[in-house]
Amino acid sequence: MDIFSGLLSGFQTLFHLNVLFYCFVGVFVGTLIGVLPGIGPIGTMAILFPATFGLSPTSAIIMLSGIYYGAMYGGSTTSILVNIPGEAASVVTCLDGYQMARQGRAGPALGISALGSFMGGTFSIIALMFLVFPLAELAVKFGPAEYFSLICLSMTVLTYLARGSFIKAALMALLGLILGSMGMDPLTGKPRFSFGSVSLLDGVGLVPVAMGLFGISEVLMNLEAQQSLSIFKTKVKNLFPNLQDWKRSIGPIGRGSVLGFLVGILPGGGAVMSTFLSYTLEKRLSKHPEEFGQGAIEGVAGPETANNAGAGGAFVPLLALGIPSSPIMGILLGALMVHGVSAGPLLITQHPEIFWGVIASMYVGNIMLLLLNLPLIGIWVKVLKIPKRILLPVILLCCLIGAYATNNNAVDVIIMIIFGIVGYILRKHDYELAPIILALVLGPLLETNFRNALIIGDGRLTTFFEKPISAVLLSISALLFLSTGFSNYRKTKKRIVEEVGDVD
Amino acid sequence: MKKYPIYLIVFWLALGIFVSAYSYLKLGLGKLHTPGPGMMPFLLGLLFSIISFYLLVNSLFKRSMEDKTITEEQGQINSRKVILVLASLFFYGLFLETLGYLIVTLITMTILFWTMGFVRWRSLGVASCLTVLVTYFLFTYLGVRFPAGILRAIGMY
Repeated sequence: MDIFSGLLSGFQTLFHLNVLFYCFVGVFVGTLIGVLPGIGPIGTMAILFPATFGLSPTSAIIMLSGIYYGAMYGGSTTSILVNIPGEAASVVTCLDGYQMARQGRAGPALGISALGSFMGGTFSIIALMFLVFPLAELAVKFGPAEYFSLICLSMTVLTYLARGSFIKAALMALLGLILGSMGMDPLTGKPRFSFGSVSLLDGVGLVPVAMGLFGISEVLMNLEAQQSLSIFKTKVKNLFPNLQDWKRSIGPIGRGSVLGFLVGILPGGGAVMSTFLSYTLEKRLSKHPEEFGQGAIEGVAGPETANNAGAGGAFVPLLALGIPSSPIMGILLGALMVHGVSAGPLLITQHPEIFWGVIASMYVGNIMLLLLNLPLIGIWVKVLKIPKRILLPVILLCCLIGAYATNNNAVDVIIMIIFGIVGYILRKHDYELAPIILALVLGPLLETNFRNALIIGDGRLTTFFEKPISAVLLSISALLFLSTGFSNYRKTKKRIVEEVGDVD
Repeated sequence: MKKYPIYLIVFWLALGIFVSAYSYLKLGLGKLHTPGPGMMPFLLGLLFSIISFYLLVNSLFKRSMEDKTITEEQGQINSRKVILVLASLFFYGLFLETLGYLIVTLITMTILFWTMGFVRWRSLGVASCLTVLVTYFLFTYLGVRFPAGILRAIGMY
């Protein structure tokens, strides 16, 4: 099936009334949680995950994807009007977006953010369509050794790009892999770390863990923070940017689209990192870098475009290789698995309706989001006024229902609460949570491929270096690990020398 | 510079050692040409222990803790809220199947709304009942089957 006829069939799938409805529900909920500080797209996707069991796989994936890229749109509203990011990918938008609002230019800031998001999102869908096929063709040739090395590289890049300490991120990735090894052994069926509990024979589920780490712990952090929202009192008018704004924004939008897409493909890169890179790039390229932080429209246009392009880019490894590059993609992979669909190179040939349906839904979803975010901005501003004393208990109840509904089992609720406490403690000590989720999803894949590669290679560890693709992927992982290890060693050595000097 | 709290790192170290020991003793490592169910967890536990040990050593060489900016009184109030919320969540998890969705959710939501700052009993009752009913009908429509609990036992469900 060529791209044009594939896309056409995707639109045919999408234009069934119920599929279109779930696409709308996804982008609407995505915008809503993007606007509301307190819960991000991961938590929301995890909460709504059980509700997708009754849907067709196409509708389920379309709805969950819509939540993800919808959140990227909605997140900018709170950043601009309240100076509090609705979700992590909108942190950078606070810097100039809020300043623009203070100068009475909230309208153009919101406008360029929505239009930039639309352009970035559309660019990433087109690039995604063209990149997935060659990658999927390459992936068909992958054996267990290549898959093992690819997952190793994903995990290494994820920890390498972590915002905080590399060591702590690596520890969290390992914790996720250990959690992923719980339950029945995939090859022999022997129970592992289940301690006689029937509920743990299937291991710990992705949904309760994700909801605990990202939903419950987020609410607990909010409870402690006691932040009150004060919306900047300004009339949101002139949403369509003027010619001068466009002249200043078109470059950042173009660069943000390409940069966001490329960074989005990287494991752990995703939408968040693309915004920081785009902001830094625009500030470097600008003739007036001193205006950044004071209300420069480029500081809104670039990052907002990049986060939507990054959201599109993140789909590439999942759809082409079956390897999720972020926890959000991990949840999407989980949703595919629940519906008996395996992601990866065979998805395009075995389930073209899902693949092309998702692609088509992203085009239509982007248009829906533009309509939701520009003319209806007043509604989202009102949503911001929902008090926390109502919002937080409702989020908690949705988490509780979501955890129970996964398997109709109260043990999942207890697991979620325990992981909520774990997430709360880890957040307080600056540990990153994303590697845990991704490793939990990738753990069983990593182990199965590792053991299969050893069985095929008759127990020779060199089998991972005999295949050229595998050797290259493992070498990159090793280089990244060594470079960070060396840099950490130098820092520690310097500090110890200083400590000893102080004592003397 | 922030010092890594020792108790957490010691816990990590203990966890890593436990995972390795359990994998080696209970699961079996197998051979390289036929890896057993314990091989991967053993390697992961070993790596986990090594990194935890590195963090422990690193932490001992670091300077003082960052000053906490939050006041003691405010911290106590918020911690009390966190504990109350967690207690109500555990109550929900433990009694959901026995008491049933409607009863356990009503009790939990009343506690949660009260903890979050609802003070008037009437608004507390209205908010809790409304949340229970809306979520019940919405999620039932979405195909979620809630436990009836004691309501079934006394013939009301």
